[in-house]
Amino acid sequence: MRRYLAVALSAAVLAAVSACGGSSPEEPGTDASGPSKVTVGVIPIVDVAPIYLGKEKGFFSSRGIDLELVTAQGGAAIVPGVLSGDFQFGFSNITSLMIAQTKNVPVRIVANGAASTGVPGKDFGGVAVAKDSPITSAAGLAGRKVAVNTLKNIGDTTVRESVRKAGGDPAGIEFVEIGFPDMPAALESGQVDAAWVVEPQLSAVKAAGGTVIASNFTDTAPNLTIAAYFAGTKLIADEPELVKNFTEAINESLAYADAHPDEVRAVLSSYTKISEEVRTALILPKWPTEVNRASLATLAALGTTDGIFGDAAPDLGKLLP
Amino acid sequence: MKPLLGLAGLGGFVLLLEVIPRAGLVPSRYLPPAAEIAVALGGELADAGFWAALRDTLSGWVLGLLIAAVAGVVLGLLIGAVPVLRELTASTIEFLRPIPSVALIPLVVVLYGASLQSKLVLVVYAAFWQMLVQVLYGVRDVDPVADETARAYGLGRAARIRHVLWPTALPYVMTGLRLAAAVALILCVTGELGIGAPGLGARIAVAQSSGAIPDLYALIVVTGLLGVAINVGARAVERHALRWHQSVRGEAAV
Repeated sequence: MRRYLAVALSAAVLAAVSACGGSSPEEPGTDASGPSKVTVGVIPIVDVAPIYLGKEKGFFSSRGIDLELVTAQGGAAIVPGVLSGDFQFGFSNITSLMIAQTKNVPVRIVANGAASTGVPGKDFGGVAVAKDSPITSAAGLAGRKVAVNTLKNIGDTTVRESVRKAGGDPAGIEFVEIGFPDMPAALESGQVDAAWVVEPQLSAVKAAGGTVIASNFTDTAPNLTIAAYFAGTKLIADEPELVKNFTEAINESLAYADAHPDEVRAVLSSYTKISEEVRTALILPKWPTEVNRASLATLAALGTTDGIFGDAAPDLGKLLP
Repeated sequence: MKPLLGLAGLGGFVLLLEVIPRAGLVPSRYLPPAAEIAVALGGELADAGFWAALRDTLSGWVLGLLIAAVAGVVLGLLIGAVPVLRELTASTIEFLRPIPSVALIPLVVVLYGASLQSKLVLVVYAAFWQMLVQVLYGVRDVDPVADETARAYGLGRAARIRHVLWPTALPYVMTGLRLAAAVALILCVTGELGIGAPGLGARIAVAQSSGAIPDLYALIVVTGLLGVAINVGARAVERHALRWHQSVRGEAAV
């Protein structure tokens, strides 16, 4: 018995020590001979398909980058991961990055992430209502319950703009925070009157008889940039060569993804569980290689109007590459 | 007889799961019938990624439970045996114990990101209190007459812990271990779900965000079966460790 205890105790101490210390990842790019290991925090959604495709195509390995993709649950876990050095790069929506910037979190965009298709009614995200809903346009959302995945973020800001553009008053909208996966059920059961959904939930809502009444991305700005890849400012200062290579690899991946939608649909099966039927039919985002600065300025202005940045206003010069 | 009844109960539940969506009481889009879940489960079992996730979850569970158990027993014996310490810590323990581990998620994410460490903090925090409180009860249960007798016979501190305190506390320790084992599994999966640390929970999250409902339920079934297996295992360990104890001996005699 005593020996067992001793073994268990030493194992526990070892575990505790390793848990406290935390094995810091290999410093990327320090070893000139081999490829540098790069870990990127992403969300398991359609928007990040290009980076998976680019990895498969060798766009990263050809530049000496050994890419590892880690799926985190939402941007809330990715920014801390980048700051703590667990991830060298991360993927996040633009408004979240602006919120981080106004709080002086040291991050900067290094490459474009995903953009609206720019086609009203045919975008990868939109405001949807359930079958038989009396609401037929964004103007009808005034005073209604609308689901967004995160309050005080890109969802409510752009939905309000849709309502303004349609001539309605966004002041009375009651926004409710519901995760994207739960939105189709929330719509169908009448918990909410409308929901801002993105693919693949958009397909699910349509399959259940729902309709898209507004395209909040295209209402906000033409070809709105929705998300981007970013890094900590320390990495950008210390490893300019690595960041440059990563940006080039991402840009090649984005361009390739935009030109080969069928391969994008195929690669989705490698990191999501989206059914084949939905994969072949869903609306893909656009993946331009340039961040649309004008659309970012619009998002910043809307966010400031809605008061999501507190007293500050985002300084885009500090956020853009 | 008992296992048969248990199986019958489980069979009834599966049947219910098959009938409710088929009858349209719940749209099958959101709760697929049992047969569809079974097909999805087969698909999971054939997927190497599933086994990697299972390994990640179980290794987090084992490690977390081990740390919590050792820390709970050592600190519990220490605090329980020294009256001053017990007075000092009683209110603090009562204050910290009800804090749900899940409330620590934002904190651990900032500290450790989506990693095994994050998961371990949650698991250890939840399981540790289960252990500690049981050990404290166990120490309090020592028969003063037995302790005095041992003192009178000149047994030293170590010998008294070995022959009086430990046998008294062991049933409580085992109860704590059983509770902690279940809690550790729940927190492991919840942590993976909330943080995205690799494991069954993260796989559940991916199925959720992909709208793969049958897969989602298949993984939930796996988690449930793990819970059953852990409980059965914990009871077996308990019976083995306490085979000298009257509660277990009594069971065997009947």
